[in-house]
Amino acid sequence: MGKVVSLDNLLASMEARRTDVAPWLGALLGEAGEKFAHLGLPNRRVEAWRYSDLAKALHESVKLEADADAPPEFPGACLAAFENGVLVDKLSSYCAMGAISLRKALAQQDPAVAAHIGKINPQQDHPIVNLNTALMEEGLVLHVPRDVTMATPLHLRFNWSDVETQGDDGRHLRLLVVLEEGASATIFESHDGAPSFATIVSEFRLAANSSLRHIRLENFAAAARQTAVTLAEIGEKATYRGFYLSQGGHFARHEALLKLAGEQSFAEMDGAYLVADKRHCDNTTVVTHAAPNTASKQTFRGVLAGAGRGVYQGCVQVEQAAQKTDAKQLSRALLLSHRAEIVTKPELEIFADDVKCSHGATAGELDANALFFLRARGIPEAQARALLVEAFLAEALDTIGDEVLRAPAAEMVRKWLARHAGEASHVE
Amino acid sequence: MLEIKDLHVNVFGKEILKGLSLKVPPGEVHAIMGPNGAGKSTTSYTLAGRAGYEVTGGQIDLFGEDITGLSPEERAAKGIFLAFQYPLEIPGVSTMNFLKTAMNAQAKLRGEKELDAAQFLRIVRAAAKELNISEDMLKRPLNVGFSGGEKKRNETLQMALLKPKLAILDEMDSGLDIDALKLVAEGVNKLRAPDRSFLVITHYQRLLDYIQPDVIHILSGGKIVLSGDKSLALQLEENGYDAVINKAA
Ligand SMILES: Nc1ncnc2c1ncn2[C@@H]1O[C@H](COP(=O)(O)OP(=O)(O)OP(=O)(O)O)[C@@H](O)[C@H]1O
Ligand SMILES: [Mg+2]
Repeated sequence: MGKVVSLDNLLASMEARRTDVAPWLGALLGEAGEKFAHLGLPNRRVEAWRYSDLAKALHESVKLEADADAPPEFPGACLAAFENGVLVDKLSSYCAMGAISLRKALAQQDPAVAAHIGKINPQQDHPIVNLNTALMEEGLVLHVPRDVTMATPLHLRFNWSDVETQGDDGRHLRLLVVLEEGASATIFESHDGAPSFATIVSEFRLAANSSLRHIRLENFAAAARQTAVTLAEIGEKATYRGFYLSQGGHFARHEALLKLAGEQSFAEMDGAYLVADKRHCDNTTVVTHAAPNTASKQTFRGVLAGAGRGVYQGCVQVEQAAQKTDAKQLSRALLLSHRAEIVTKPELEIFADDVKCSHGATAGELDANALFFLRARGIPEAQARALLVEAFLAEALDTIGDEVLRAPAAEMVRKWLARHAGEASHVE
Repeated sequence: MLEIKDLHVNVFGKEILKGLSLKVPPGEVHAIMGPNGAGKSTTSYTLAGRAGYEVTGGQIDLFGEDITGLSPEERAAKGIFLAFQYPLEIPGVSTMNFLKTAMNAQAKLRGEKELDAAQFLRIVRAAAKELNISEDMLKRPLNVGFSGGEKKRNETLQMALLKPKLAILDEMDSGLDIDALKLVAEGVNKLRAPDRSFLVITHYQRLLDYIQPDVIHILSGGKIVLSGDKSLALQLEENGYDAVINKAA
C-alpha cells in the first residue's frame, strides 16, 4: 500500500518549508506556493492533464511488488545518487565535476542559483513546477564554465527503494544546469524503483554555442508515481539533444518544455516508451521557437502491451519572430494488445508565416506480412514478434550513437522485450 | 515427399483452390504454370501455412503426414521453404541477424545444435559469394532498398542456408536480368538432391531451360487441369493457355 499524498499535506509542508529562509528564497517559495494552492493538483479537467489525471492517481492505492530492477551502473561517470529522494554524498562523486548539492547552494545563497532558478523557460501557471519550487530543497546544481567540455557524463541516479522514507508529501527534487558559452556536457538520468510521489524539475540553461546531451531512462517499478519536467532555454547556435526511454509506472509523466531562444539553435528529442500491464506513461512536449532559423525534431515511438496506456502530447509553438523555423514531429505507436491504448495529441501554434512544420502520427499492430515471412523461415511466433518490436525500437536506440551511452538503454529494452514482446494480440 | 489431395482453400471467404491434387516424389522438380489469378501463389501460401488461407477440404501430406494443422514455423522445421513472389522489406532487422536467427531457430526446432558465430559467418560468406551478394547487403536491413533482383538473390541465399526438403519458388524469375537468372538457377540446381524436391512456379519457359523440370502442371481455376513433360511449356509458349487447356479438354 503506497502513501496517500493529499493537498493539505502538501500545503502544510510548503508553509513549514518557508520558515527561516533567506528573504529572496522565501519570496520565491511563497509565490510558487500560492500559485500551487490556487491551481491544486492537476486532474483531467485541466486540458494539459486530460489524459493523465494525477490527482486521481494519487488517490488510488498501489500494490508494491518486489519487481524493481537494480539501477544501471555507469562506469566512468560522475554520480549523484539520490536514494528515496535524498542526495547521498557518500555514494556520490559529483563534486569531482564541480557540481554542488542544491541544499548547499541555497544555504550559501549561491548567486548562480538566485540568478537562474525558476527563470529558465519559466512556467508561471504550471501546477507541478510551482509545487516543486515551493518545496525544493534537495537537488543538484551544475555550472559548466565557458568553453569547457565535461569529459565524463553526469549520472543522476534516482533510486526509490523504500516507500516509508519518502514522506507523506512526496519528494520534490530540483536540478539546475547552466552551460556557459561554448560549454558542453552529457547528463544521464536513471529512475528506478517506486517513488510514492515524486516531482523532479530540471532547468537547463544553454548559452550560445553550448551543447547538452540528455538521456533519461525511466525503469520504474509498477507502483511508481512521478511527474518530471525538463525546462530548457537554448541560446544561439546551441544544441539540445534528448533521448527519453520509459516503461511507465502507476503514473509516469515527463514533460519537455524547450525554448529555442537564440538564432540557429537546435533541439532534438527521441523518445521511446514501453508500456505493459496496467501502466501509464505520458510524454508531453512543448517546443517554443522564439528566434529565427531555429530547428526542432522529435520522434516518439511507443510499444503498448497488456492494458498499458501511452500518452503523447506534442505542441510546437512558433512565435512571430521565429521566421524560417523548421519543426518536425513524428509519433509512432505499436499496439501489441487490444486492451492497450495510445493517445496522441499533436498541436501546432504558428504565428510566423515563413515556416516549415510537419507532424505525423501512426498507430497500429505488428505487420502481419512481416510476421508471416519470419515464421515461414522457421522463427517461432513469440520470437518473430520480439524481433519486429526490437527492430521498431532499434531505430530509436540508434539515435543515441555513442555505444557507452546506448548500452543501458539497450539493456532496458532487451529486458522489457523478454517479458512482454511475445504478447500476442489475437490471444487476448 | 509431397502429396496434395483434393485441396480446397478459401481466402477471405472466397474459394480459390477447388480440388487441387498434386504429387511430387523425392528428388524431382515440378513446375506449376498457369494464368494470372489461377491460384499459384495461393497454393504456395497454403503450403507454407499462412493465416487467412483456410483449408476447407482435402489434405497436404509431407512425408506421409498431414501438415494442414501446423504453424508456419513448424512447417519450416519440417523442411518447407517458400521463396516469396514479393519478398518483404523488414526495417531494423539486419539481413545477417535475420539469417542467424532463422538458422538457429530451425536448428532448435529440429533439436539440432546451433551454429557458433564463427561457423555461421563462414557458411554465410561462402554462400553469399556464390550468389554475388556483397558484405554490405548482408549488413543492411533485410531487403530494405534492395533491387528486385537483389531481393530474389537474397531469397535464394536463404534457401541455400536453410537447406529445405521442399522448396517452393514463387516466380523466382520475375524481375531478374539474364545474369541474375543464371545465378539463381545455378543456386537451385546446386541444391538438387535425391531427398529434396522443388515446386517451381513460373510464367516463362525460359526459367525451365535453366532449371529442368521433371513434370509441368497447369493450374487454372483453382485446380490442376493438365500435367505433362517439358514439351508442355513449349506448347504454352507458342499457343497460350486457352488453346492448350481446351485442346486437352
Ligand atoms: N487477400 C485476398 N482477398 C481476396 N482475394 C484474393 C486474396 N488473395 C488472392 N485473392 C484472389 O485469389 C485468386 C488467386 O490469386 P493468386 O495470387 O493465388 O494467383 P496467382 O496464380 O499467383 O497469380 P499471378 O500469376 O498473377 O501471381 C485471385 O483471383 C486473387 O484475386
Ligand atoms: Mg502469384
